[in-house]
Amino acid sequence: MADSRKRQSSILEIDGLNHYFGERQVLFDIGLQIQEGTRHAIIGPNGAGKTTLFNTITGKFKPTGGAVLFKGKEVTGFKPDKLSRRGLGRSFQINSTFANLTTFQNLRMAILAKENIRFNFFRNLDKMHRITAETDAFLTRVGLMAERNQPANLLSYGKHRCLELSLAMAIDPDLVLLDEPAAGMSREETHQMVKLIRDLTRDKTVVIIEHDMDVVFSLADRITVLHHGEILATGSPEEIRTNQAVKSAYLGETEVGDVA
Amino acid sequence: MDSMTIMMITQGIHGLAYGMLLFLVASGFTLIFGMMGILNIAHASFFMLAAYVGFQVIQWSGSFWLALIVAPIVITVVGIVMERVMLRRLRKFKLGKAAVLFELMLTVGVMVCIEEAVKNLWGTDPQIVNVPALLGGLLRYQGMQYPIYRMFIIVLSCAILLLLGLVLYKTRLGNFVRAAVQDAEMTGALGVNVPLVFSFVFGLGTWLAGVAGVAAAPMLTVFPGLANQMMLDSFIVVALGGFGSLLGAFVISMLLGELTAFGIQFLPGYSTIILFGFMVLVLTFRPLGLFGERE
Amino acid sequence: MKRNMRGWLIWIPMIGALAIAPQVLGAFEITIVLGMAIFALFSISLNLLLSFAGLLSFGHAMFFAAGAYGTVFALEYIQGVPLLPAVLIGALSAAFLALALSPLLVRASGHTFAMLTMAFSQIMYAIVMKYSTITGGNDGISGFPIPALGIPGIGDIDMTMERNFYYAAITILGISAWVMWFFTRTPFGSIMISMRDNPERVAYLGFNVSISKAVVLVVSAWFAGVAGSVYALFQNMVSVDGVLGPMSSFTPLINCFIGGLGTFIGPVFGTGIGTMLTELMSAHPEQAQLVFSFVLILLVLFLPGGVMTLYWKVAAKWMVLQNRIQSAFLKGNHG
Repeated sequence: MADSRKRQSSILEIDGLNHYFGERQVLFDIGLQIQEGTRHAIIGPNGAGKTTLFNTITGKFKPTGGAVLFKGKEVTGFKPDKLSRRGLGRSFQINSTFANLTTFQNLRMAILAKENIRFNFFRNLDKMHRITAETDAFLTRVGLMAERNQPANLLSYGKHRCLELSLAMAIDPDLVLLDEPAAGMSREETHQMVKLIRDLTRDKTVVIIEHDMDVVFSLADRITVLHHGEILATGSPEEIRTNQAVKSAYLGETEVGDVA
Repeated sequence: MDSMTIMMITQGIHGLAYGMLLFLVASGFTLIFGMMGILNIAHASFFMLAAYVGFQVIQWSGSFWLALIVAPIVITVVGIVMERVMLRRLRKFKLGKAAVLFELMLTVGVMVCIEEAVKNLWGTDPQIVNVPALLGGLLRYQGMQYPIYRMFIIVLSCAILLLLGLVLYKTRLGNFVRAAVQDAEMTGALGVNVPLVFSFVFGLGTWLAGVAGVAAAPMLTVFPGLANQMMLDSFIVVALGGFGSLLGAFVISMLLGELTAFGIQFLPGYSTIILFGFMVLVLTFRPLGLFGERE
Repeated sequence: MKRNMRGWLIWIPMIGALAIAPQVLGAFEITIVLGMAIFALFSISLNLLLSFAGLLSFGHAMFFAAGAYGTVFALEYIQGVPLLPAVLIGALSAAFLALALSPLLVRASGHTFAMLTMAFSQIMYAIVMKYSTITGGNDGISGFPIPALGIPGIGDIDMTMERNFYYAAITILGISAWVMWFFTRTPFGSIMISMRDNPERVAYLGFNVSISKAVVLVVSAWFAGVAGSVYALFQNMVSVDGVLGPMSSFTPLINCFIGGLGTFIGPVFGTGIGTMLTELMSAHPEQAQLVFSFVLILLVLFLPGGVMTLYWKVAAKWMVLQNRIQSAFLKGNHG
């Protein structure tokens, strides 16, 4: 109970969420409260239902049962675009960028979204200098300026991962769900990524799925452990580290105790 | 029997004969699509080409039976050449998502090419293929008369259907084919020579279209527009029956055959609208088709 | 700046050539040029879906036809309708058709989209045939009056004079093409292009994919309608096989592929090449289509980027040469 920001209101509330793939139940009665301004990690072995949970929250799938409340309003089963406009963003486990567009053009899409420029048929985008400047500023901030004019599919994996995160963050969401941002990265790259996440998510609420326990324990204020589609425990990093149920279910797959 | 009943039965058998032909064409179409993800627009052109090749063989040899054997083989060779030389080359480009566009366009090119080649070789006038002497005449039963040849088409199609069923469901090769229709990548990983299975299916599909073409020649007149009607009908069959589903193709072919036969009687001019309207609804609300199972 | 200059290098000669064409060419050649321009616009509108939104349509002719019939009906049934409103009615009919179909079309992509569009155009074909008392069916409608083009301050220009009609039509087609080009450069245009690459991410950025797709469809249909409308005026007739026949949707598609996907100007080159092929083969018209299909097959197999790839290859060489000259010149200056 060491969370200092506990008093604040919760930005995302998940209540009794169930989801089925055909006959198979993959999420069991998930209940979660994400406090505003916190970084909340969701961990659990492969196949625990972490990405499915993200997909049902963000409207890729409509959950079979249960409710999702965002900023106090029910948003269960809302489409991704609607949620995004309300301030809920996400990044993907597998890079999901615009492969044939350059890094600049990729990020410019996010800036357009942030600036709420959607059905504009009357201006030449290349001559909208404010958008260009803003995009370039963001590119500099995330360290992609050198790759500005490279098509996304030619970026190195680490840079591509960085672009993936940037696309999620550049729309300036209030709450962002990050799906294994450091997946498949080297030690050094992971370190860079954590720094970048810290920088970009300042004053924001973050829910992050991560396998790398270094990342989890260095970033998260609270941790939820998901196992076979059920919540095993939620608590501060300290509580999770010492939780007996988590240890017995989790040990052998990832050594939680070793990380310090 | 009264004339109304006779008319109904006659139309019913007409529909059955056309439905069977349609199934022969559409089954190959749907197998190729299910397996390779290629919507072969030129598939019905093979049907039309077979009718012409059959016509030519009859011109030279005078034997319908020879044509029924030779023409489908010629068509199969053309089909396999198209698969091995053209489609396979396209796969090598690794075009990703855009590959669909290029494959479709290639088959469009082949379709136009076959149609124009046929026009150049045989002209645009309809060619008449006589019903073989053995199958000429009418079958008489309780005051009804029915052309024996159409009965033959139904019997022949049933025989081929049986053969197809045996090959697909009782042989090792058939197992590979059905596995590859479900998931080509996985089947390849299990050590099956998928490209070879692809060629086999493509050849089988074109052979079926070829047999249908020769069989149809005496029933429908042989003209270049033959491909167009068959293409649209097999599109409907595949869209409604479900991509890659043989059962679906069979059911819809029969329904469509009957609908065409009776639609002409009762709803002249509206049957196309109803059919394509139905196709639109199915494609929109059940994109896998009525019998499709794959995700 | 440099980019713009290169753009103009293509546009200026083209506009110039179109402008002086009636002065140097005979009446017969002019009809060829105009026919080509009409189909170029039709192909560009199809290419907007194909290259920029990634949607392959097998039934784009229905919008062309809607434009043609819309204009013809306006001329037949509205007493004294001026030229431009008649064209506008054609374009609007096509756009409305697209709007009406969009709820069903926006959910589809890939093969499903191709088959859906084909089904719709077949339905339209059947309807036109069914109501042949109004549409003329196979015989079509012909001989309707072509009104004069009224320009405020200048007066009426007689559109039955070939040269006048040519200039008016080329202007309409040219402006339409420019508007579509500009459309691809707008913020919305970039959303459209992004949808081609990754519609899911577009949605997650907060753009409504369905509505955006519908807008692209309507815009594309509008310009296909303009092309169809001008076509009907140009031919002074419209018939079902002329605008909705088996090849009506495939021909512009083939033009796009010959010219090269992914570029705006590609379809124009494709249409040009197609027209030239047809004219070169005019002594053997029955073989023209055969050669055309051969060219298509060979291009898809050996130059999948279309003829524009050749242009790029030449342009790249030219750039290398230019750089070499420049660096040699600089060296000369310094040394």
